[in-house]
Amino acid sequence: MNPCILEPLKERMHFDLIVIGMGLSGLMAAKTATEIGQKTLIIGKGMGSLCLFSNTIDVLGQLPNGIKMKDGLSHWIKDYPGHPYAKVGVEKIENALSSFLSLFPPPYPFQTIDHRNCLLPTGAGTFRPTYLIPITMVGGSLIKEGQTLFVGFKGFKDFYAQYVADQLKCRGVTLPLPNTSYEMTAIALSRLMEIKSFRENIGQEIKKHLRHETQVGFPAFLGLNHPIQVKENLEEMMGAQVFEIPILPPSIPGKRIFNRFKEWLIQKGVTFSLGSSVSKVITKGKRCEGIEVFHPPVTTSFFADRFILATGRFIGGGLRADREKVFEPICHLPVHQPRSREDWFEKNFFAGHSQPIHQAGILTDLSLRPVNERGDQILENVWISGTILANHHCIDEKSREGIEIATGYMAAKQASGIST
Amino acid sequence: MKMITEVLIIGGGATGVGIARDLSWRGIPSILIEKGDFASGASGRNHGLLHSGGRYAVTDPGAARECMAENRILRKIAPHCIEETDGLFVSLPEDGFDYRERFLRACDEVGIQTALLSRDETLELEPELDPNLLSAVKVPDGSIDPFVLILENARDAEEHGAKILLHTEMTSLILDGDKIKEVGAKDLGGGEEYTIKASYIVNATGAWANQFLKLAGLQIGMALSKGSMLITNQRLTHHVINRCRPPSDGDIVVPNHTVSILGTTSVRLEEVENFEVTPHEVSLLIQETSKLVPAIQEARLIRAYAGIRPLFQSETKEDDRAISRGFVLIDHGERDGIKNLITITGGKLVTYRLMAEKTSDLLCKKMGMHTPCSTHLKALPKANRPTGLTEKLKQFSFERVETLCDCELTSRKEVEEFLKTDKLKDLQDILHRTRLAKGSCQGGFCVYRLLGVLHDLRRINGNSNEFLKKFLEERWKGIRPILWGPAVKEEELMEGIYKGIFNL
Repeated sequence: MNPCILEPLKERMHFDLIVIGMGLSGLMAAKTATEIGQKTLIIGKGMGSLCLFSNTIDVLGQLPNGIKMKDGLSHWIKDYPGHPYAKVGVEKIENALSSFLSLFPPPYPFQTIDHRNCLLPTGAGTFRPTYLIPITMVGGSLIKEGQTLFVGFKGFKDFYAQYVADQLKCRGVTLPLPNTSYEMTAIALSRLMEIKSFRENIGQEIKKHLRHETQVGFPAFLGLNHPIQVKENLEEMMGAQVFEIPILPPSIPGKRIFNRFKEWLIQKGVTFSLGSSVSKVITKGKRCEGIEVFHPPVTTSFFADRFILATGRFIGGGLRADREKVFEPICHLPVHQPRSREDWFEKNFFAGHSQPIHQAGILTDLSLRPVNERGDQILENVWISGTILANHHCIDEKSREGIEIATGYMAAKQASGIST
Repeated sequence: MKMITEVLIIGGGATGVGIARDLSWRGIPSILIEKGDFASGASGRNHGLLHSGGRYAVTDPGAARECMAENRILRKIAPHCIEETDGLFVSLPEDGFDYRERFLRACDEVGIQTALLSRDETLELEPELDPNLLSAVKVPDGSIDPFVLILENARDAEEHGAKILLHTEMTSLILDGDKIKEVGAKDLGGGEEYTIKASYIVNATGAWANQFLKLAGLQIGMALSKGSMLITNQRLTHHVINRCRPPSDGDIVVPNHTVSILGTTSVRLEEVENFEVTPHEVSLLIQETSKLVPAIQEARLIRAYAGIRPLFQSETKEDDRAISRGFVLIDHGERDGIKNLITITGGKLVTYRLMAEKTSDLLCKKMGMHTPCSTHLKALPKANRPTGLTEKLKQFSFERVETLCDCELTSRKEVEEFLKTDKLKDLQDILHRTRLAKGSCQGGFCVYRLLGVLHDLRRINGNSNEFLKKFLEERWKGIRPILWGPAVKEEELMEGIYKGIFNL
């Protein structure tokens, strides 16, 4: 090929920063870097666990009841100096959360209940502690025995109103759905809920079933793009407060978060490449120079000065396990892990503590650059963020989104040369 | 409650229900009690192989003959429980031809039909086999669904007058001279206690035979052998694949519904409860079966499980009573002076009917009756129904059906049908009677959904999360040994849901 054509092409493919991974952490990193003025590419195979598990923003749900999050985090960092939060620090965690919040102005804001964890009902009729909650879920933190009517839909198999109602000593009602040629998934229903006539039929039907209840709990699919409109319209019709309950994946509230980031990033001129997975990282000595993306039969290369690896854990593809070990498939970074496969999992599923494999991950220095077990830096222009990091138990700690947001933010600041 | 019957059968495995059916057709009243659900022991924990007898042709021609004869009968009376896959005995380069020649001769002698296939012919039938194989011998093996087989036998027995009490444990046994006078039992669900008087008692408890006999102060020489198996998430071959060499660990791959089952190991155990599949067994099974089907190295496993074979150790003076090395029928009247007690144990799933026939014959002899067995002539109740898959696919392609289990296409309607007909004491029973929780996610989604449906229908209203946790804990036993590769993703998803979203 003529080098004159190749040259501008190469320039177009050159960025200040490439973020690998499009879960919450990658999105947060891309947002932070863009605000600093970095020319950024974000590239990802899928939406990470954002659209599976994230309904609200957990920061540290494991804290004892009633403790202010800031105080809880300070203690936590003292107790667990190897935890990702310890590398970010309380102040920057708060900055990161504020930055996240700034992306969600009304009508779909996130809020805390008095800067502490609050308890929200789940699709299993349990309560779950979490920190930042979208306005559509606030009502769930107020439920009282007998005061809430739970609504399910016959034909929607991922939520059962009576199951939840029986656990929470309330009433449940299961409404029929119109016959359609497609399956009634959460995605399909979230779209249908945005159609006025569909929604009004449901509202009128529920009104007939309401007795003394002052609240109505729905599975979390009240609209993908305009949840507030859906919520307020239903409330008006029924004369009761409406709230959403987190259910089995996929998560519609997670998809709302993803869509908002995507909209913002594209608007700010970030190069956004969804559906591509990085097949290879090009390194030279301790530097990463570029990445290759293989779309059979074409391989495309992208180059950058700095990189953030935010590829998640096993589901995201950031970590993989064969019969002997856990490994990191893209940059081939060393993975901190239990000694042998027999030590990965406890004999019980509910072992009373987290399964040992979940604290496996990438070790980093204080600036989130990858190191080996001895602490030697491996790559000097790569930063690690999100759940791929070692030494946390995000499922049991209930810290998934907090870790993603805080480390994504911090990695982008570090990679952009802003370390304070 | 007091109950009186002619024959009390203890144990709801294939043998127990087979006896109940056999007796019912001879017009002899019986009650069967089982402490769990049907097929809780070895009957439900095997590789679902409809033996042609080929595996025993060289080492035990008697057992091989029995298998072949029963194989033919089961194809007639239970076609809806069987897939006629045929089997291949594959010779690999390291196996040579010696065993194959002995195998062919032995099959010929016991009447097992064989066809010798060249390497190319074999690979055309089964492209996933190791291309270096030498040849294969085709035999009439098949795969069988033990649970459906047992349910069908039980249904038929009940239709003909037998009474079956599940989740009912034997609690006591009262001896009166040379006879067992009565047996005490307890319904583990409702708590009701029974006193059962029977003229004869059959111990069909399989690996638990000695636990039962202990109550009567007796013991037989029995060894417990654990066999472990692995399930892949898809069907790897069309035929049952055996290794053409003397029986050994990891020498069989059985296609079964949508999956393949890799088997087996043989490990002596001391006790009949609390056993698990060890990492060593998992590695051994993969290593050995992948010599036949190399794709097993990369296959995704969905579960590991084990069953216990009760192996009868012949007692010199009892040797003549061992009908074959396959199974053993003991008349405790002759052996120990307890006139109305019989133990039947050992054997193979495929010979369950024959075991039931011989037991019933002995009972008739003791009663002085001459009614002959007819179970080899009478088809099971639903034998003429077309087998499931075609019907099911039609249903799913023409109607919109609410599926509870996306892996195995189990619909809500199917569960609702079961709830109408069966009086269920335990939710686990529904899982046994449908394909729920048998696919790739092993119930990760559908058990929650099942509970949801039961709440919806007001069949339960209590704390279902305790059941959910118990189920997940039980599921873990089968999953933990095979967690690597894509299975770890699935595991992360499950923890993300149940410990994460649901905070259980």
